[in-house]
Amino acid sequence: MKAPPTTAGRREITGLSVIEDQALAMIAALASELAVARERIDTLERVLEENGVLDRTRIEDYRAEGEAAQQREGLRMRMIAKIFRPLRDAARRALEE
Amino acid sequence: MTSPIPALTHPMLPETNHDEMAQQLFIRDLKMWLGSEIEPLQGDIARKVDPGPAHNDRDAEAFARLHEVPAFRSWAGVFRASQELMWDDVWRSVDRQAEELDARAAQAALGSITLDPDFVPPAYLVDGHVHIMPGGYALDADGVRQGAMMDRGGAVYMLGRNGGFLNDGRGKSVLGHIYALYPDLRPTRILELGCGVGTSLLPIAQAFPEAESFGLDVGASMLRYAHARASHLGVAAHFVQGDAEHAPFPDASFDLVFSAALMHETSAEAIPRILAESHRLLRPGGVAVHLEVPSRYDSLDLWSQIRSQVERDYNNEPAWQAATSADYEALMRAAGFDAVAVGFQDAAWAPQPGQGGFGGESKGVFRSWFVASGRR
Repeated sequence: MKAPPTTAGRREITGLSVIEDQALAMIAALASELAVARERIDTLERVLEENGVLDRTRIEDYRAEGEAAQQREGLRMRMIAKIFRPLRDAARRALEE
Repeated sequence: MTSPIPALTHPMLPETNHDEMAQQLFIRDLKMWLGSEIEPLQGDIARKVDPGPAHNDRDAEAFARLHEVPAFRSWAGVFRASQELMWDDVWRSVDRQAEELDARAAQAALGSITLDPDFVPPAYLVDGHVHIMPGGYALDADGVRQGAMMDRGGAVYMLGRNGGFLNDGRGKSVLGHIYALYPDLRPTRILELGCGVGTSLLPIAQAFPEAESFGLDVGASMLRYAHARASHLGVAAHFVQGDAEHAPFPDASFDLVFSAALMHETSAEAIPRILAESHRLLRPGGVAVHLEVPSRYDSLDLWSQIRSQVERDYNNEPAWQAATSADYEALMRAAGFDAVAVGFQDAAWAPQPGQGGFGGESKGVFRSWFVASGRR
């Protein structure tokens, strides 16, 4: 993916520490990720249930291995980059100053 | 007469996959929740710290005092975080499908695009990116990315209040104003100053299909997107790179020059120059229409004034206060217009010749638009 362009003219919010600012942004991103994940799980369970393929108790018993475990690692890495984006943005701004 | 059923979307609009849709709905709902649940409380806090009507700088003082309240600072922080997260979500979605969008843009057969390789955008758009959109309006991103980000972001930001994914409520309200006050106008050449991705130009161009319609704006990527968007919507419009203060057209070359919510994204100094430029570009008998947000700063309550300052400082709407405080009657006359109309035009969804809807009172945000217009 291409890195998004940087934003010019971003002011500090008076009295809000730079790190508080970042923490709030991370929490907002985290909440978004959680909402997306919950929505996807809900889609999945409903589709599977409608098609009669899911016994929901099997979800509780499942353990990822091999390729499945690797793919999950990719998902985790993407999520980390997304949630902790404010660290990257702050560092890029610090470098521009 | 065109079909009364509006197209809800168009082929250039970036699509969303399952997760992107969930992200964008999350942002929309977060913004709505912040607005409906937290903002009224901020208004209460503002009234608590209000220095009172006798204070000679009441709104600025209240704004400063609010920053001493942690609950205000955390709200302001999340308010801006939601906007930055929206742009990040939209950017990722646009980036994923950028090649397909560029391929679709390459099929644009109607109208034209004229870029100026030596163009220098105005400083106010370079120093602060409006709506904190990364890269701003002027960035010449690859292909149509910047325009696609602006269009999709606008659709999420506006929450469907302004004509759905076509986002054409402002353009239709300009058209309503022309029908209300200049019913005899039959333009052969039309120009929009600050056309963005062309959302407002298209309904005007469609209403006057015999006219040549031009859109002027600063960003090459945004203009490539605007051209493709118009072409795919069946409109032959011409998009030109330039600055609304110094439009690259000769004197007296248009019958209709308009802007739609442009002024508050410029600067206090630019506003009178853009009004004068609209006069220079008109033929005798031609009409200029400048539409703006319906708030007039002096008539806002304290919280709404502070909310304007939040937009100005933390969402980079640099001239919000200037654009909602300016004396447009005087500025239009100084620009050379003799007959000037200043007031509020009803928001129009299906403007019709013979309609009215212009008066001295605002009916509120998204129900009215402020308009200053005049005839050369």
